[in-house]
Order: sequence, then C-alpha cells, then structure tokens
Amino acid sequence: MSDVKIDKVLVSILQRRLKSITEEMSIALMMTTRSPILCEAKDFVTGLYDKNGKMLEQTENLPILSFSLGPVCEYIIKYFGDDIHPGDVIFHNDVFSMGNQNNDVAVYKPIFYKDELVAWSACKGHQADIGGCVQGGYNPNATEVWQEALRIPPVKVYEKGKLRKDVWDLIFANIRLDIVAEDMKAEIGSCVVGERELLKLIDRYGLDVFEAHKNHLFDSTEKMMRSEISAIPNGVYKGDSRVYYDGRNPGSVYEIHVTITVEDEEITFDYTGTSPETDGFVNGTYTSSASATTLTFLQMINPNIPHNDGMIRPMHIIIPEGTILNAAYPKATTYGNHLCPNNADAIMRALGPAIPDRVTAEWNELLCSLTTAIDPRNGRPYVDIGFMGLKGGSGAIKGCDGYDHIGMIDASGGVLDQDYEMFEQQTPHLLMLHEYWRDSAGAGQWRGGLGVETRFKIGSDHTKVVTFGDGDVEPAFGAHGGKEGTLNKIELIYPDGKVYKALSKDLIEDVPAGTIYFQQAGGGGGYGPPYLRPVEKVLKDVRNDVVSVEKAREDYGVVIDPETFQVDMAATEKLREQMKAQAA
Amino acid sequence: MKYKIGIDVGGTFTDFLLTMEDGSSQIYKVLSTPDDPSIATMQGLREMAEDRNVSVEAFLKGVTVIVHGTTVTTNAVLTYTGAKTGLLTTKGVRDALQMRRGIREEQYNNRYENVEPLVQRYLRLPIDERLDYKGDVIKPLEEEEVLRQVAVFKKEGVEAVAVCFMNSFANPEHERKAGEIIRREMADAYLTLSGDILPSIRFYDRVSTTVLNAYVGPILKRYLDALLKKLKDVNYEGVLLIMQSNGGVVAPEIAMERAAVTLLSGPAGGPVAGVMYTSVQGYDDCITVDMGGTSFDAALIKDKTPMVTTMGEINRLRIALPMLNVVTIGAGGGSIGWIDEGGLLRMGPQSAGAKPGPACYNLGGEEPTCTDADLVLGYLDKDYFAGGRIPLDLGKAERAIEEKIAKPLGMDLHEAALGMYNVINVNMAAAVREVSVKQGQDPRDFPLVTAGGAGPNHACMIALELEIPVILVPRESSIFCAAGMLMSDLKHDYVQTYAVQLSDIEPKRFKAYFEEMRKNGIASLKEEGIPEDKIEFVYSLDLRYIKQYHEVNVPISEEVAMDVNIDAMAEAFHPRHNKLFGYDLKEEGTPVELINMRLTCIGKTEKPKFNEQPYDGEDPSKAFKKKRKVFIPTWKRFEEVDVFDSFKLRYGNKIEGPAILEQVNTTTFVTPEYSVLVDKFGSYTLYLKSREEEFAGRILK
Repeated sequence: MSDVKIDKVLVSILQRRLKSITEEMSIALMMTTRSPILCEAKDFVTGLYDKNGKMLEQTENLPILSFSLGPVCEYIIKYFGDDIHPGDVIFHNDVFSMGNQNNDVAVYKPIFYKDELVAWSACKGHQADIGGCVQGGYNPNATEVWQEALRIPPVKVYEKGKLRKDVWDLIFANIRLDIVAEDMKAEIGSCVVGERELLKLIDRYGLDVFEAHKNHLFDSTEKMMRSEISAIPNGVYKGDSRVYYDGRNPGSVYEIHVTITVEDEEITFDYTGTSPETDGFVNGTYTSSASATTLTFLQMINPNIPHNDGMIRPMHIIIPEGTILNAAYPKATTYGNHLCPNNADAIMRALGPAIPDRVTAEWNELLCSLTTAIDPRNGRPYVDIGFMGLKGGSGAIKGCDGYDHIGMIDASGGVLDQDYEMFEQQTPHLLMLHEYWRDSAGAGQWRGGLGVETRFKIGSDHTKVVTFGDGDVEPAFGAHGGKEGTLNKIELIYPDGKVYKALSKDLIEDVPAGTIYFQQAGGGGGYGPPYLRPVEKVLKDVRNDVVSVEKAREDYGVVIDPETFQVDMAATEKLREQMKAQAA
Repeated sequence: MKYKIGIDVGGTFTDFLLTMEDGSSQIYKVLSTPDDPSIATMQGLREMAEDRNVSVEAFLKGVTVIVHGTTVTTNAVLTYTGAKTGLLTTKGVRDALQMRRGIREEQYNNRYENVEPLVQRYLRLPIDERLDYKGDVIKPLEEEEVLRQVAVFKKEGVEAVAVCFMNSFANPEHERKAGEIIRREMADAYLTLSGDILPSIRFYDRVSTTVLNAYVGPILKRYLDALLKKLKDVNYEGVLLIMQSNGGVVAPEIAMERAAVTLLSGPAGGPVAGVMYTSVQGYDDCITVDMGGTSFDAALIKDKTPMVTTMGEINRLRIALPMLNVVTIGAGGGSIGWIDEGGLLRMGPQSAGAKPGPACYNLGGEEPTCTDADLVLGYLDKDYFAGGRIPLDLGKAERAIEEKIAKPLGMDLHEAALGMYNVINVNMAAAVREVSVKQGQDPRDFPLVTAGGAGPNHACMIALELEIPVILVPRESSIFCAAGMLMSDLKHDYVQTYAVQLSDIEPKRFKAYFEEMRKNGIASLKEEGIPEDKIEFVYSLDLRYIKQYHEVNVPISEEVAMDVNIDAMAEAFHPRHNKLFGYDLKEEGTPVELINMRLTCIGKTEKPKFNEQPYDGEDPSKAFKKKRKVFIPTWKRFEEVDVFDSFKLRYGNKIEGPAILEQVNTTTFVTPEYSVLVDKFGSYTLYLKSREEEFAGRILK
C-alpha cells in the first residue's frame, strides 16, 4: 500500500457516498420487483462489500436479513478462490453456508476496477416461493431443509458476462411462481446499479485513496462503536426468554439464555445454555440469530453510527451449534428469522437494568400469516404475506411512548403495510377492518405502542393459510413499573359459523371463500408506573378511543366522565395516591 | 407603462420582481410579516409606487399581472395551525391516515416518534358503506348515518371536512352523495372529496392528500380573500395568480378549492426560472439549486420541463398530487458544524437561523456555521455582507471554528474551516445526486443554475464534486423564485385510475376519461380568462409490466391518446423502463398494464420580456474593485484574487478564476478550475477552463 495521506473530510464524503449508492440500489429494486413482499413491504436489503467481503455500507429495510450478507460474501470468496471474473453473477440462499433464511435469496456481483477485484455489490430479497413442500416456503411440518426449499449454495448464473441458461433453468424449474425469476432479474439489476456507481467513485479518487480512506472509515466507525460500548458499565448481564410451540409438539417451550459481558470497549453475547434445536422448522441459523443480536443492540446506541465492518468489530457473538438459535445440518430453519423478537427479549432483559435509559420495554412479538390460492377473478395464483395484520406496537422507552402499529423488532418500521386498495386488486380478499386495537398498549408513564386488529373476507376457495410467530402465550413485558402489552391471536370464522383459533405455527388447508380472517397484533409493554403519566395524555388517548374509560381508571388512575370527557381531578388525585402507596 | 410583478414570500424576506414592457426590471425586498403575509406584500407595492411618485392606486392601474408564491399553506402544516378538520371514511380504515402504512423512518431510533396526524382519531368518523375493487356497491351509503356523523362534526366545531371512501377512484357516487349532505348541513364548512382532488388508486396516498387539502383550505381561502380585498381597496383590476407546487399558476378562486396544490408554492418558482435563464444559451436541460439561510433546494429540468413527482411528502405526510421534484435538505449559511462520536466532521441539518445566527453576526451565536467558515476562508467580505448592512465579526467566527472544530480534530483553523466548507458542499452535492442520479440522469450533462444568497459561493465546489462543467449564476439570483413565477403558465393536472391490461382497453371508456378531464381543464382555464387557442394538453399514462407494483409515467401524444393506439403506448413504455431501471421485457413479450391516465392542461400566459445586453467585449476592468486574500480549496492555500463588482459586468466580459464576484445580496466564488463569461441576459456563466472551446461560443451565443 502506498502511503496515502488521509483526508478526514474525504472519509466523511466516502461514507455518505457509499450509503447513497446502497439507497439507489434499494430504489431500483423496489421499483422493478413484482412480489408485494418486495415492492410494497420492502422485505429486502442492498449493500456494498470490500474485496474481502467486509461490509462497506448497507440499506437495511429489513435488518434481520442484512447482517448475513457480509459473512456469505466472505464464504463466496473462499468458495470460488481465484475463479471470480468480471461479469460473474452469483446466487445464494443456503442456510448452511451463512445464509439466514431459505426464502431470502441473495445476488452477489464482483466489482472489478482495471482487472482487479475491488469490491462486491449484493442484495437479498424474500422471494415469494423457493420450492419445497409448501408454496411460500413456510412449512411447519418440515423436519429437514429439503422439505423447505431448494438449496442454492454459491452458484454462478452468469459467468464472465454470459447467462448460464442451464443453471438458470435448473433453479427456476424448482420454483413454483414465475414472478420469482422476474424478481431475481430485478435483484441483478440492483447489483448492476451498485457496481456502476462504486466504479465511478473509485475512478474519481483512485484505488489507493479509496482503499486507504475505506480503512480509515472502518477505524473511525470502530472507534465510535467502542465509545458507545464503553458507556455501558462493565459487568456480566444475564437475560432469558421463552419460545412457545415448535410447530410439532403442542405445549412445547424452549428457552433462550444470553450472557452479555461488557468489558471496557468490547461486548460479548454468549448464548450458551440455550435450549437444543427443535425437530421442526423453529430453528435459527447462526446468521439470522447474530443479525437479531446486532440489530437489537444497535437500537440501544447512537442510531447514526455508520453501518460497516468497523461497527461489528468490537462485538462478539457466540452461539453454540445444535441450539435453537443455531441448528445443525440438515435441520429445518425457515422460522429462524422470527426468533429475533425472542432473542431481542432476552437481550433487553439482560441490559435493561444496566442501561435503563436506552432499553425499551418489550415489543409485540411477531405473529404473521400467509394466504395463497388461485384468484378466481383471473385464474392466477397469488401469495400474500399479511404485513398489515402483523404490525403490533413497540415497547415504550424512558421519555417516549412506544410506536403504534410498527411491527416486529426485526424490521423496526422498515416494512410497510400493503396499501388497502392494492391489496384488493392483488388478492381476492375484501378488507373489513384495519385499525388500532383499543386497550392493547401496555400502560405506563410512557405507554407501549398500540397493536392493531385486522379482519378480511377470504375471496378464494381452497385457500391455504399458513401462520408463523409467537406472542400468543406471553405478552410483551413492561419495564420499571410499566404494564405488559396484549397477546397475539389469529382466528378463522368459517361460513358455517365455526371458529378455528390458529396455532402460532399452523398450516390450514382448504379454507373456503367467505371465511372471515381475524387477527389481533398485540401492543408493546409500558415503561414506568402508569399513575405518573400526565393526565392530559391519558385524556387524549381516551378521547381518541384507544384507551377506554375503564382502563384509564384501572391502569392510570384517571377518572373521566364517558359522556363529557371531563376529568374528575379530585377523584383522580385520590386514586393515584392509593396506587402510589400500593406500589411503595 | 405596463407592469408585471412576481412576489415570493419567504421566511425572512418577501422578494419582488417588477418587470416593465420595455424589458427592464427592478428588484424589491421587504421584510416578511409572518402573522399576515399580505402586509409585506402591500408594503412592497407601496414602495414601488413611491419610487414612481404616484399613489398605489395609480401605480396599480398599470399592473396587468401579479403572480404570487405563498407559504401560508406550508406553514399551516409545519406548525399544525390549519383548520379543525373532520374525516369521513369507510368503516374499518379510519386509522390509515395516522398509521402511514406503519413506517418508522429511523429504524434504529427508539425515540423517533410518529408524526401527529392532521385529524385526531375522534374526528375520523366511519361510514358503513362499501365499494369493491371495481367500484361496484357492496353496501350502499345510508343518508341517516352521514347525518349522524355530520352532527358530531357540527358539535365539535369542525371547519373543514375531508371525505375519502375505499375504492372511490373507481366510483365517485358515495362520496358525492355524502358531499351533498355535508354541503347542505354544514354550508360554511370547507369540503374536499377524495374523488375530486385525486381519483387514483392507493388509499393511504389519497386519504392523506384529501385531508391535507381540507386542512389548509380554509387557511388559504382566508388569506386570499384578505389579499383580494386589500388589492380591491386600492382599485387593482389586473389579474392575480397563485403559484402551485407543480410549477404552474392558478387563479385564486381555483386555488381556494384545491388548496393542497400550493403546499410547495415557494420553491416551485425556481425550476421555472432555471428554464428561462438557460434557454438563452440554448439549453433544454438544467439543474437548479437554491441555497438560503437554512435550506437547500435542488431540482432537475429536462426538455425545458421540470421533473414532476407524485410521491411527495410534507412533514412526513404523503401528498400524491403532481409537484415539482424539488429535494430540500438542511444546508444553508446558518448550518452548524459539529463532531460526532466517531470523530467525523458533520454540517447541519441544525441551523443557527437568523437569530442568534452565525457566530460572526455577533448576535450571541456561538456555534460555528457555514457562513463563519466562508468568512474565515475569505469568500465573504466582513465589510460587504448584505452590501455592508450586516457587519461580520471575523474574530468571533475564528474562535467558534477553532474551539468547536479545529481543536477536537487536531487541525489548524483554516484546515477546519475548509473541512466545514467541503462537508456541506458534499451534502449539497448529495441532494443534487438525488434529483439527478436517482432519476437515472447524469448530472454532468446539465448546467447548474445557482441561486439564493449563499448558493453562488459554493457552486464551484458542488459542481466539481459532481464534475459539472457549467454553472450559471443569474443576475437576479437572490430573487430567483419570484422571477420564475412570472414565467409560469396556468396549469391544471388531472388523473383517473383505469387499471387494465393495454390489450383489454375499451377505447370508448378510455377516450371518455380523457375527454372528461379535457372538459374540466378547459372550463377552469376559461374561467381564468385563457382563450381556447392558448390551451395545450399533455397526455401521459402510468404503465408497468404485468404483475409489477410500481408504475412508470410515460408521456404520449394527443394523437396516440385519442386514437387509443395501444401499440404506440407499449412502444413508448419499453425504452423508458430500460432507461430508468436498466432492462426491459419487450423481447419476452411481457404484457403491459395501464394504471392511471393523466392529463395536464396548460394555459399559455404572456411572459414578461427581459432585456438583452449589447456585446461589451472581454475586458472586465471597469468592474474591478480590489484584491483580497482567499483560500483556494484545491490548492490548499491562500491566494490574492481579484474582486469584481458584478453588477458592473456586461455581456461578453471574461474573468479567469480564481476570482470573487460581489453584489449586494450574493457573492460568487470562482475557483481556479473555472472561468466566467457574462451572457446576453447578464448571467455569470462559469465553465471549466479545460473545456473552454466547448462552451465559450455557446455562452456568448
């Protein structure tokens, strides 16, 4: 390396530019994909990596996908060795070579500058189908990976700029929906956008300057991360949480245990003691679990920290193989991304006492559904992931209420509802209700985010409804005197009036048109004693009918006339005094 | 003498451009009066009359047109001071407005709160009616239920009502029926039906836009009524036109009905002005940037047409009406420099504003700002800021930068100031990339038109960062938007959703939709006094490949539209998709789908003339003021450079950088990479020296 003088300002420029390139990649992907999971909900991530596979920047619509792109890049580099050429395009989804979920299919494109490999552009999106037993990929009956998906270890679909038609056809012959091939073309397009822009950047400043400043950027980010960690008191913190039902054995319960060691500027998350893997699909992969750890921790520190390799250097994550968070080959793992809320839960319980100002009460855990059938209006198959129904509330934090209707912590508001009218164009369903769920938020000085209720009429016969998630046994916990949130629920009300309460991992076949789908996504936990919440905030929630008059009295000690919305101040003060005395 | 006046009400100043029949023009600036902006407006008119030693009444007799950009609606949204608004919507979806599809823009920030809705939940009332995805009635609207909900609005003292029902883009009947009842029962209320303002698919977009319109409607109406009355009181008989976010103007009576079209009224004048100033050099395309005290606006113009978006936002609230694609970021003279925990230098978005202002204003500001850096580097003259009206304190600027930036970074003062200058330039360059690169346009192909008080001082470095070879600084750069307003045509946008595969279009229905939009456009323009031969129509379609979700707007000719020429529509779509996203599926024969039909009706107005200057030769020496030490960014050292009084520069004058061009409200810093030539309109045109042969001829055209 020539000795390039570091221009500190250029480091800032570089960081900004890398970020904006990944944003451009993200826009291109959103605008061109077909599956609503990608183009509406933005269940994808785009990123740039250096020649060694180290993260340069990412745009993380769904962060749970994002922290495996780097490790897979490193794997691909090792796998192909010197057999990497300009014009290559590589697919990957394999969870046993650092992939996070079978459905999250990645594209990698090596970037060459004057015949020298200098970087990689990559993106990964949740594909509407990936083969296996069940359309859409979620198969609670799976016991091994082949029942879930087509495994794609690193494979070149383009070699030196030429499409390998045989490979392409082999892959897509094993996938049900033709839109998946179209969406993978869009992923390649996004990588081309990243490649083109990064080359312009290198051309502008020169490779030496780029490399030297990149290293400085990593170091600067590492320094920032280290100072964030050193703000946490040294110590060993333990937390745990439970995972309910493995999709096979009713009543089964698994535990996650994390031991977090903070030692000056380094932090270690050790999951030793976590329950063994299940024999179903409720299993994490190393990268899905480590992503969950990373994204949860990132919410506890300065949100403006650049996302690159320097950020993860002072973080160490140990997840023993053979546990529910890191299943061994060839276990089924499609559910793994959705262990993130449980994992986050354990981390928040561990660090809550150490940094009470930075840790939220618990978020609503994910409970999601997927409906699929033939749309009788046009004879075409459809797959819909019920993003609008799954978005419960976040946990409150000191100084701030939880965010209403935000959804799973693994997306943190990066994944969007389907637009209602587009939903009715793209599926045969009729939306009847999608509103805040009254009294769903955990009470607190700062209340949890509100959950939502969703109801729609299924418009196709022989509909398959798949559910996956948790949060129907244990509600989101409150923190520092705040109360817990509410439970998740999915129900089918058949045309004959029969009601079926879905399990948290379920596969319900042959649902007829006219069936009502009903879902409650719970609220988040509250923070601080509810009787300290300002009366006018309680009144505002009552006025808006998201907190009932009864709950205002029971939980918050605020007495409100249901007709006039007048607060009885004397009664309120008296009631709050009692609550305070009881708490003491 | 006949006059036309452009008025741009800004945060600090209200700018006026007075143009005369003979092509001459004059600038006025009056301090804005935010409580009632019409006070400053009338003050400006009085000053113009005084300068001519006549009464306002006598002066206004000669004024044929006043074009007015206003921020009253923008401010009402930003400060939540709009009308008390009620929303009537389909049962079951009343929270869509507040949910905003569940986005949290800052994913890792657990203290990032949702934005307050413009209508609280207790005023979002459901109606148990329902249309299906095709617009067929599933559940009819019951008058009694509407009456019940209207009674609630009345009791709560609601001033404005928005009505937005599911799938109403496909059938407006339920909304119309509800609207009739509301008009009958609440005669004084301001009413907006979603089907009137935006009959296009996507519920959240539509409900948000409808509510925005209702929320600001009464505010704009009150303001315009007051202004019209004040103008009437001084016997003004000319035309008053209001600037819209889409870059066109509109009669006040129509603006009152469609108030949301003025939400970005202010910056919308900029791109229009850009077209005018670059056209003299034969450009069809340009990028305009406007850097003021706190914000920086960037926009891209292609084929003399500013880029329009229907994916806009104001204060994180969706507005899906067509508006100029102006990107605004927090970068201006007042932007504060700071060091983050990782030790990286950052600029803004926090601004010191006008008070306490930059440290060098000596008004109590202690944070180092962009203006402080500009002063320390010599780009500003401490004795000639705002023409000397605001004396700058160099010592204060140096101290602020030394303490807050230089010491923590271990740099010397000038290195630190240069760092601040460079970082803010990169931020602004990123905004320019957003309007260009993100739209698939290469910024190097566009001249950069630079406006605003602080803009021309930073233009060269933004341009270098993006490799832009030509920069245009208009002589009136400080009142750029007001000039643009005078150049704007009347413009009305219409949209109709018709979701169908191209091959399945029913020609009769297709034509009927366009004809209906045409009829409405002609009616509005006639009301605004535009004869039919001055009306133009721009047809376009929002198209996509089958099963895609997002559409691409594709312009089509009137012939293609009226002949319902489906092949020509598809032929126009493929290359556009390819250009924007790098591929098309023409070869594979993938079917194309129509989502929306759009029509823009333009009423051509008579534009003011601008005088062209006679050729004055290369020699700029008569404008020479003095020499000053200025820090040259790319040389990393101070250099004595020539300072010119730019008002004295004339067509043909040439100056080689490095140089400083000073005028009362703006300073232009010409870096050594650039030279300046003055064009026929008096615009200072900077071009890369290395490409002189390519550009000099064109500038002098």
